[in-house]
Amino acid sequence: MNNKVNNTISWFEVLRKYGTVIGAAFIFIIFSLVVDRFFTFGNLFMLLRQMSMLTIIAFGFTFVMAAGGFDMSIGNAAGLVSVVFAIVLVNTSSFWLSFLVALGIGLFVGLVNAILVAYINLPDFIGTFAVGSIAYGIKMLITKGNPIFFMNPPEIFTFIGQGYIGPIPFPVILMLVFLVITMFVLSKTKLGRRIYAIGGNPVASMYAGINVKWYRMITFLLSGLSVSIASVIMTSRLNSGQPLAGENFLLDVIAVVFLSATMFGEGEPNAMGAFVGALIISMLNNGLTMLNVPYYFQYVTKGVVVISAVMLAVVLGQRLRVKF
Amino acid sequence: MSSNNVKEEILCTQNLGKEFNGVWVLNGINIDLKKGEIHSIVGENGAGKSTFIKILSGVYAPSEGEIVINGQKVKFNNVRESEQLGIRTVHQEINLIPFFNVMENIFIGIELEKNVMRINILDKKKMAEKAEEVLDILGVELDLNKYIYKLDTSMRRIVQISKVLVYNYDVIIFDEPTTALDHSGRRRLLEVIMNLKKQDLGIIFVSHNIEEVLEISDRITVFRDGKNMGTMLKEEATVKKIVSKMIGHKSYSDFKREPVQGKHKVIFEVKDLNTEKLKGINFKIHEGEVIGIAGIMGAGKTEIAKAIFGIDPVESGEFYINGERYEPQPSKSVKKGIALIPEERQEQGLVLNMDVKKNISLAYLDQWSRANVIDLEAEKNTAEKLIEYLKIKTTGPLQIVKFLSGGNQQRVVIGRWLSGDFSLGIFDEPTKGIDVKAKEDIYHQIDELAHKGKGIIFISSFLPELINVTDRIIVMKNGKVVDEFDPRRNTEAEIMIAMLGGNNNE
Repeated sequence: MNNKVNNTISWFEVLRKYGTVIGAAFIFIIFSLVVDRFFTFGNLFMLLRQMSMLTIIAFGFTFVMAAGGFDMSIGNAAGLVSVVFAIVLVNTSSFWLSFLVALGIGLFVGLVNAILVAYINLPDFIGTFAVGSIAYGIKMLITKGNPIFFMNPPEIFTFIGQGYIGPIPFPVILMLVFLVITMFVLSKTKLGRRIYAIGGNPVASMYAGINVKWYRMITFLLSGLSVSIASVIMTSRLNSGQPLAGENFLLDVIAVVFLSATMFGEGEPNAMGAFVGALIISMLNNGLTMLNVPYYFQYVTKGVVVISAVMLAVVLGQRLRVKF
Repeated sequence: MSSNNVKEEILCTQNLGKEFNGVWVLNGINIDLKKGEIHSIVGENGAGKSTFIKILSGVYAPSEGEIVINGQKVKFNNVRESEQLGIRTVHQEINLIPFFNVMENIFIGIELEKNVMRINILDKKKMAEKAEEVLDILGVELDLNKYIYKLDTSMRRIVQISKVLVYNYDVIIFDEPTTALDHSGRRRLLEVIMNLKKQDLGIIFVSHNIEEVLEISDRITVFRDGKNMGTMLKEEATVKKIVSKMIGHKSYSDFKREPVQGKHKVIFEVKDLNTEKLKGINFKIHEGEVIGIAGIMGAGKTEIAKAIFGIDPVESGEFYINGERYEPQPSKSVKKGIALIPEERQEQGLVLNMDVKKNISLAYLDQWSRANVIDLEAEKNTAEKLIEYLKIKTTGPLQIVKFLSGGNQQRVVIGRWLSGDFSLGIFDEPTKGIDVKAKEDIYHQIDELAHKGKGIIFISSFLPELINVTDRIIVMKNGKVVDEFDPRRNTEAEIMIAMLGGNNNE
């Protein structure tokens, strides 16, 4: 009798903590069974490479959300970075200079977000949305919507998005490196601890002597930085500066972080959660495309997945700290 | 003045009581209210005043006893039923919509309509007439089209009263209506209430401010520990008499601190501090000294803590810690050696969803960090030591603090500061809502810190504990320091009179 009760609780706990992982495994198995060529080395590496950009941006977003914030500017910022990066690269042929400019743009967008949201106290949703809109306007004014192509791009540029180390695509290695860094920073450093404290209770954090505005600013800078890096990879993969290429990131990243917050029953955004969330979203993108499901139907699926995950989390009694 | 002195009774309570989890917070209350009368209720925090109001206004159901209105026993199940029987409360919090005008605010939820071509539309003319009528009763001139955000607090309060008056009413309860008002606003409001009294209704007036109670009441009832300590006529009431009924609690603790000898260095000093709420504050604290800050609600006690720590903006003033001047700002204040145990444990003190260990290490994270990386093992060890030392009842350093009791949560907040080294410790209402055992532990803790040479500011609205624990008590009123006492020589009554104000210190 007693035993049985314990069993029920532990199953409940397992579902609560690892529901998202189980969901990812479930989707993986289904696609492997249903879709031809899904479970092949070639496709799996492609899947990982596709998800690398999304995942890196999601890591940046995880910092923002762990501090209780939200960043709506990422999609348009990614496009802006791609365009400016491409223009500098075309004109100077210097990868490193272009790369620095790209990082600078991302950080600048993050800084503007931070000033508006952390220091002037605009609601995150509104401040970062408006910044995204401005970024959209600027990149369209610069390019009139046209992509920027390269004649003879430097080798290192091509390598970033398309290269391999051994059998593993380079962006995948980058993604794994950032996964480790993000996990480490969030769980083992003062920065991570303070960011979670601020997300948990900004007022109490202030009363404990934490400079709340400063740390919130850092999260937006990290988000901007991650957008820059993902955007450089994307530009390399597409072999062109694409003003509109980053736009899907916003919806996908939001889906990812919601999934991330359902991981481990903590209700808190975390790096591993972001990774698994990105895997789920990318498997859906990849598998449904291979099944010839119409492109726009994938949006419907993503919406349904997010709603189900969050609903399940709520039913399982997780405190979901997802706020705007 | 009326020839027949027996005025008609409009409301009375018979043996009214309220119990929460086995504790009687209100017990055997018999009170009556007559038409055309202002009946005041005074008492310290926790005396049962707000529970009493909440029962009359239908928020709580009484655990025993009866409420009689116009000779009939009544029962209400919710606020609405109480309102329908004519009992209306003007709450302490002002709930008006800033971007609606005066008239729109008065009629929220009870808008008057007229029928034009079978469509109901707002009858602005009728509402304006009715509103003017009400403002006439109150003796106030006010532009009905003015937006609320353009009004000062006393006028907002008056709009709030008007809301009540456009509806039916027999009894109006005022809950601390003059809180947060300046001198002229307070005068205006008292006049309004006096005008209202002419309307043949009963008024229950609850206030911390004994001067204004003496000024406007016909009768005054004192509550203490949930009991009615007696009702006085205005003519026979004095501040002294009222205070003597308010104090004299059941003994709650035998703790009595002795002063620390032989330490004279000044730890902390504030010179001519002015903020929005505070005016001209000066004081010093020496090593090993515990000073108490007393005052009624809204006197500016917490504001002192917030100004010193850097939460509230400072208009002018100088702050020195260990002889060194500093600009208050939370992150800097902590580095300079100031620790603050804030008034609101859950909102300001803790990250409720974090575990005990992380809450303890939050302020002095640097201690366990090298190159920004936290030594998680050392952090956990410190937490374990503090859990043992402070006797925090928890399953361990990894328990989420929201599952701890109030007293244990408070111990976690104290543990946070004990994990590091500070010079000045500010305890803002540290014993609020915790059990006697936990209270005594906090007193001992304060004593021990004083012996280690730290300066302590102990803010409390519970005078007996200030008297038992501190070396010096500063009394605040309306944002100013109005008096200072030696708790080992002065009596509770003397200090209480200074808090409540015999003299007018406006």
